[in-house]
Amino acid sequence: MMPDLQQVGEGQTQQWAPNTTVPVVLLENVSKTYGKIHALSEITLALSGGVTGILGSNGAGKSTLFNLLMGKLKPSSGTVKLFGTDPWKNPAPYARIGFVPEHEKMHDWMTAHGFVSLFARLNGLTREEAKTEADRVLNFVGLTDVAHKQLGRYSKGMRQRVKIAHALVNDPELIVLDEPLQGCDPLARTTIMNVIRELGKMGRTVLVSSHILHEIERITEQIVILHNGRLLALGNLHAIREKMDNIPHTISIGCENPKELAKDIINNDAVYGISFPSGNNLQIQTHNLNEVHRELPALIVNNGHKVSSIDNPDDDLESILKYLTGGLAR
Amino acid sequence: MSDDEEILPQSLPQPMTIEPQPQPLAQPQPQPMASVPQAPILPIPQQVQKVESVETRMATAETPVTGQARMDTAWGSSEGDEDISQMASISQTDTGEIFKQNYEPWRGELNPRWMRNWAILRHHILGIFKKGHRPWGVPTRIFLVLVFFASLSDAALTLLSSLIGDSEFHSYWGVNRDNLYGHVLGFFPRNVMYYPIVAALLVGGVISEDRLHGTSALYFSRPINRFDYVGMKYASVAFIQAIIIIFTLFLYYLTEIMVFGRGWAWIVDTFPIFLGALMGGVLLIITYTSIGLALSSVSKGKFFPGIGLLAIILGTKTLAIIVKNLFDREILYLLSPYDCLAHVGQTLVNTQPTYDQYSWTWSLASLIVMNAIALYVLSSRVSSMEVTRE
Amino acid sequence: MMSPPKKDNVFRALDRKLGAVAEFTMRQYRTKLSTWVILGVGFIAIFIVVLFYVDSMQQEIEAIDNDGDSMDWDGDGYPTGQERIYGTDPDNPESHPGTFSPPIAPDPPEKWINEDDFDWDLSARGDTTVGYDDDGDCRLADSTQSQKDNNRNNVECDIILDYDEMRGEWSEPNSDRLVDEDPDEEKYAKEAIHRAFLLAIGKMGFVFLLGIFLPLFLATGLIREEMDNSTMHFMLAKPIARRDIFLGRIVGYLGIVWPYVIAMGLIVGLISGFAGPSDGFFRFADLGMWMAIIFATMLATLVYGMLFCALGTLWKHGIVLALPFAAWELGMAILSFNAPSASILRFSVIGWSLNIIDAASLVVWPNMNLFINMGLWGGGHGDGGWWGNSLEGADALSAFASDTGLGISPIATIVVSTFVLLFQALILWLIGSAIFKGKEIE
Repeated sequence: MMPDLQQVGEGQTQQWAPNTTVPVVLLENVSKTYGKIHALSEITLALSGGVTGILGSNGAGKSTLFNLLMGKLKPSSGTVKLFGTDPWKNPAPYARIGFVPEHEKMHDWMTAHGFVSLFARLNGLTREEAKTEADRVLNFVGLTDVAHKQLGRYSKGMRQRVKIAHALVNDPELIVLDEPLQGCDPLARTTIMNVIRELGKMGRTVLVSSHILHEIERITEQIVILHNGRLLALGNLHAIREKMDNIPHTISIGCENPKELAKDIINNDAVYGISFPSGNNLQIQTHNLNEVHRELPALIVNNGHKVSSIDNPDDDLESILKYLTGGLAR
Repeated sequence: MSDDEEILPQSLPQPMTIEPQPQPLAQPQPQPMASVPQAPILPIPQQVQKVESVETRMATAETPVTGQARMDTAWGSSEGDEDISQMASISQTDTGEIFKQNYEPWRGELNPRWMRNWAILRHHILGIFKKGHRPWGVPTRIFLVLVFFASLSDAALTLLSSLIGDSEFHSYWGVNRDNLYGHVLGFFPRNVMYYPIVAALLVGGVISEDRLHGTSALYFSRPINRFDYVGMKYASVAFIQAIIIIFTLFLYYLTEIMVFGRGWAWIVDTFPIFLGALMGGVLLIITYTSIGLALSSVSKGKFFPGIGLLAIILGTKTLAIIVKNLFDREILYLLSPYDCLAHVGQTLVNTQPTYDQYSWTWSLASLIVMNAIALYVLSSRVSSMEVTRE
Repeated sequence: MMSPPKKDNVFRALDRKLGAVAEFTMRQYRTKLSTWVILGVGFIAIFIVVLFYVDSMQQEIEAIDNDGDSMDWDGDGYPTGQERIYGTDPDNPESHPGTFSPPIAPDPPEKWINEDDFDWDLSARGDTTVGYDDDGDCRLADSTQSQKDNNRNNVECDIILDYDEMRGEWSEPNSDRLVDEDPDEEKYAKEAIHRAFLLAIGKMGFVFLLGIFLPLFLATGLIREEMDNSTMHFMLAKPIARRDIFLGRIVGYLGIVWPYVIAMGLIVGLISGFAGPSDGFFRFADLGMWMAIIFATMLATLVYGMLFCALGTLWKHGIVLALPFAAWELGMAILSFNAPSASILRFSVIGWSLNIIDAASLVVWPNMNLFINMGLWGGGHGDGGWWGNSLEGADALSAFASDTGLGISPIATIVVSTFVLLFQALILWLIGSAIFKGKEIE
């Protein structure tokens, strides 16, 4: 048995092949402690395919989790496996992985093209291949016209895009992005979100972390919620919301005559509360969203109500997070 | 496990409004819950309060929200509530407004300049031994303490000589011309191992860390002169060195006086020598600090200035020694700060000069030139430091 | 999915990745001001010493009449030396060769200064006799055989040299009277100072100052700075082992430092070759010496580079650890001047590098020891006794020259030292990468 400080692999991808029978990302009972501080406690996670959002407030352990995944930290207990290989011991899996770190310090004297092609070469490509790939990937993120300017002159959003480009240069199957939308202007934000969605659609496994909740919502519905180093919830956003039966759901209906509609809907057993926040708005409090939504269309059509919008205002991450973390998040 | 949830199809109706919400403000649609039975689990009561305070006191388009109002709101006037609603009211209007921002200068009394400077000085000096001030590194502090005690070695040996009662021992270690000179400017071990390294450790991050982390912005966005900024840093580094070099010299002198019961006659005799050594020490401190701070203002690293200072002091000395041994020419000593200081110090204390090929005035001139260059570099770098991180 | 490149093997893959890291490192150095400052300062420091050297090579060294035979004590117009040869009385103004028939013209005094230079075979090994009385004040003197053979070896007018096998050095020359007693100061001094300069600048200037300070400033931050700036995150997320990143950074550092060292060595070598004393216009023999100096400095920068990079990786304040190490190496350097065979020298890096230079000096200038002894003996005249009248340059040379202390032939010394230094570099690489591998990087 090799001691942990010895790395087994040389990072040469020819001799390493991914284990296709296990999930791409596998954490088993992983904990990381710094003395008395538990950065992560007993995280068990398996991810394969699609975009997954890792959510948590600052200090929840997102960056620690990513550092563990990328072999920068060693777990105090438990195992981390990427494509079936422990990244702390063997850097070979990184041939199939692209990592976009959170900080934005890059070498200001390099050009974007030089930066991306350097890391392409570190993946094992030749100079010419690296150049081609760099062009391709910079085109993908929309930086072709400024590719030969120095990174020091780039705006924050452009730097984010360069980081994403360099992570994509080896056509990875797993892409890990640590707070990719942080500090980006709206244009860059849209571009990056589109990119992430594209990657998810192409069948890659994408991990995105953020503490900005509505952005994650717009990218994906698969989420992992971390809080104080612990796993709070995992899975489809709406399914999680479903499971939280104790707090009421609200359905907000914009209609011409809310009082009439209220009369019709109040008879439903699932509805326990009605309110009229304004002259043309009806709010329904219910414990069973599905039930009400099943009945609602028929009610509206049959009684001829004129409805302009139907909304579930708290079927979102914010309320989930608030509920799960006892409102201490934010 | 929660694997099931991952593959669950999207059976729930999607919320219809996926587009960005039209309100540009922090508050989403106000949710007056007053008429609804309170949800059983809203853990923070403040939320309820907050909701209640957003009463429908909507201003109309005729009372536009001004920058003044925002400022007052932000910086706390007692009428906070209504102004929040004023901000919230923007969402109801269809028109846009452009607001004049009126910034009022602070009309308070500024404390005198010396107080501000004293604050900077204090921050740097107290940081050696107190938390909450400039954090000098632990190795630095340990080394300073060690050197302080090492510099007291001659005072300790004087004390020892009186305890032993050995006059030969005392004549070797007691206060005399050569020993006073040696305390400040002796080459081994003080000026090889102690004082240059002390200077190197102190000047290491003094200005370069401000450049690296951008904390110079904290200074320059306040009513602090650049001259004061660098002056106080200079003074703090010099002061710490002075404690180690000059204060210990003073203690040495004092030990001799007290332990051997020296009278006024002796003091009158030896005081000029003591003053000479003191001035030599002051020159040493000034030179090392100037060169060190100039290096610190040029670099962004924490160690490069210190190592650079050591390289200059010891490297020029080594070069000069090599040339002297090879070619018997002492002229290169003029490039070595230590040798110039030693030469001038020897003249001040009036000991036997060890540099016999040229007069001490050359060394003094060289010292002045070195200091001038260092101070010029320092002042030009500091005056061009940006308020933001460079 | 990217297909593996064709015809790839271990070396080409490593080369691509290592090469990328090395190339990146070299480009990074180019953009940093500190690199140029350090290289520039090294250049200036070496060149100040070179200027002094060139100046002293142009200087005239005063010719001293060691044996006083150019003086005319009796005022008869004939130098003492001439009078001695012709058997006239140097103290009697009436007695001089002008009274002979035909009368002999008086020699100019300059003819009797530096007239009896060393005639020694410097490639001699073992006990030997050397020396020839050029001015004839021993050979042609009117004295008995025993007066001409003070050293009692039955050879008149010679010098006995004893080689002590045990201590590996030549003993004091045992000379018959008035043999090689008035050597040419300038010739000896120029040669001695030239050799001393080469040794001093090679050992102290190149190996010590350049060899330690270049890595100290350039190599310590190789890994540490990247870790502190968080830019190492990018490199670590690639399929390259940390050991190879370490090596790649060092290779990049060498790509800057080695050409610099070679260039400096060539330039100074050319200058010293032209300015030094020689029979032709250039001292070709010295090139071997310069090759050794350059080679030793290259190895020293390699080993120190690995060491300081490892120290920097180990601890954030690694450069503070480097300083006592540099002090240790200075002590070892000084020790190697005085006691080259001390075994503690084997525990330093600089001891082995200096060995290479010393061994080369023995190859290029055979029997340096004898040469130094020659100068220290200085003709054997003067008030200070045997050793008090050494020629100029002999002291300097004896300070900077030393034996290899390994007890084997010079070529073998060079080979052994090279292997030891490469081995040290390898060990330090492994240690450094082990430290790097175990580092958790936030």
